[in-house]
Amino acid sequence: MTGALGRNGGDPVPLALLPGRDLDDTSPPAWLSVLRELGASIPGEGWGTPQRPVFVTGSNFGVGGLYALRRFGETSFAAWGAPPTCTEEVRRALGWGPDVSILSHACVSAHLGLLEATRAVEAGLAEKALVLSFDFLSPFVSGGFHALKILNGDFPLPFREREAGSIGLGDGAAFAVVSREDGDFVLEGQSLFNEMHHFTANRADGSGFATCLAGVSGSAGGLRVWFKGHGTGTLEAGRMEVAAASQALPGAPITGWKGSLGHTLGSCGLVELAIAVEAIRCGTAPGVIAGPGAPMAGAVATENFSTGSFDGVVCASNAFGGAHAAFLLRHA
Amino acid sequence: MTDDPGRETPATTRDRLKAGFAPGSTRRMTVLGLIVGNALAQLDPTQEDSVLYASGYGESRALEDFLDSFPAPSPTLFQTSIHPSAVQQLLIGRQRAIREFMPLSGGDLLAFHALRASMLAPSARALLCGGEETGTWLLEHRLASERTFGFAAALARQPGTGSLGRVRLAHAEGKGSLGLAGLFDLLHTKTEFDGWIAPGWRMTLTWA
Repeated sequence: MTGALGRNGGDPVPLALLPGRDLDDTSPPAWLSVLRELGASIPGEGWGTPQRPVFVTGSNFGVGGLYALRRFGETSFAAWGAPPTCTEEVRRALGWGPDVSILSHACVSAHLGLLEATRAVEAGLAEKALVLSFDFLSPFVSGGFHALKILNGDFPLPFREREAGSIGLGDGAAFAVVSREDGDFVLEGQSLFNEMHHFTANRADGSGFATCLAGVSGSAGGLRVWFKGHGTGTLEAGRMEVAAASQALPGAPITGWKGSLGHTLGSCGLVELAIAVEAIRCGTAPGVIAGPGAPMAGAVATENFSTGSFDGVVCASNAFGGAHAAFLLRHA
Repeated sequence: MTDDPGRETPATTRDRLKAGFAPGSTRRMTVLGLIVGNALAQLDPTQEDSVLYASGYGESRALEDFLDSFPAPSPTLFQTSIHPSAVQQLLIGRQRAIREFMPLSGGDLLAFHALRASMLAPSARALLCGGEETGTWLLEHRLASERTFGFAAALARQPGTGSLGRVRLAHAEGKGSLGLAGLFDLLHTKTEFDGWIAPGWRMTLTWA
């Protein structure tokens, strides 16, 4: 548990920070070394050029630096304080060329990057495309979610019934290389839907979830799939997501991993895609985190399960504004 | 549709544009939400349109105010300060669902990235909108736009009746850049353009 306002204290809330990293940013940010390490593991060269564009996605970029700048007058943070300036610093640190797009749509940001990368490659505009997604916590973010009263002193228990829902937050970063011919896995049925019903709530009838999943269920038709949901730990959204997944993908086990990872915000779609890939590679997918409260449906996987009998996984994310995104991941 | 309010105050902008929104709804809208929302509303977005939104700095004033609300952060300003907020303010106000919504940020190449995303959109109409609002203390640190402006344009692969112009992107050896303000100026003044807007990418813009 960490004070929601970092060095200024605040109520204790569950935050999964990188090992050794404080909630308050440093200058340069402590998370930059993580991105450098991640960048060094990206296969191939020439990223950020016309044939190899980069799509950087996230929700908060260097907003922790902006918080430090304003709250503590630390001007050395300024270069990290806005999406274009922060991304430019990351671009230089990772040695990329200038063709670096930025997509920022809260917690479905990574899905948009994957979709744009896929379209650029499919259209023949690029040979390969790189998607990098990152979101690192700061008092700006934890203070904001605490103010919304969904980040409190309880740990998240996605897809479980309890008296009150609650989320946890986590640092996250991941990348994917999208190409037409290489690779062990295929993304299909990339689907988006934006309810535009309320800034922080979904339509009560769950139609937004259903419409988005209808866009991917065509690709999943006839396949044996499991479902990796968004599952932040809030109750209403969890129930609607479980109901929509059960309807669109009958018999699919339902899991979600934010009970252990925390919600990694704009990076969650790519962080959880990386885990889904590893789950398929090693043959076992994690179930939802254990804890009190009955699962919201019999299909919720309360134990780890074998992926061997499945053809693929449908991965979904949701965001402010009733934004929904999903895709099918399967072996090539 | 373009809007260049110059040095108009936020209160004047709100007063000038409030008639285009539901009564009482503009009280919590940002200047960027008003200007971009008003421009996008002229195109009457439908669920089957793709909406591409470009802004380098997004909700500068809401960000400033949210940061100044600590140590008791405002939940309303938190949700208003997110990058896609300007378009959401319009479409949530009108309860207008859309399938594809792509909010982009960026710097010198933002015009290219927004146009490329628009041209890759699968829908019959891609609605490209964008804008910036000036900040106060953020501007002192070069973390906000120096200008306030907004625009919206409907792009289609086939020219329809009443089309205003034609834009073409092509791979070509060469270097150049075009930021969002540069694209806005071309649209606002209906200026023709033929040149590089990104390394390896050339844009031709002609007007009817």
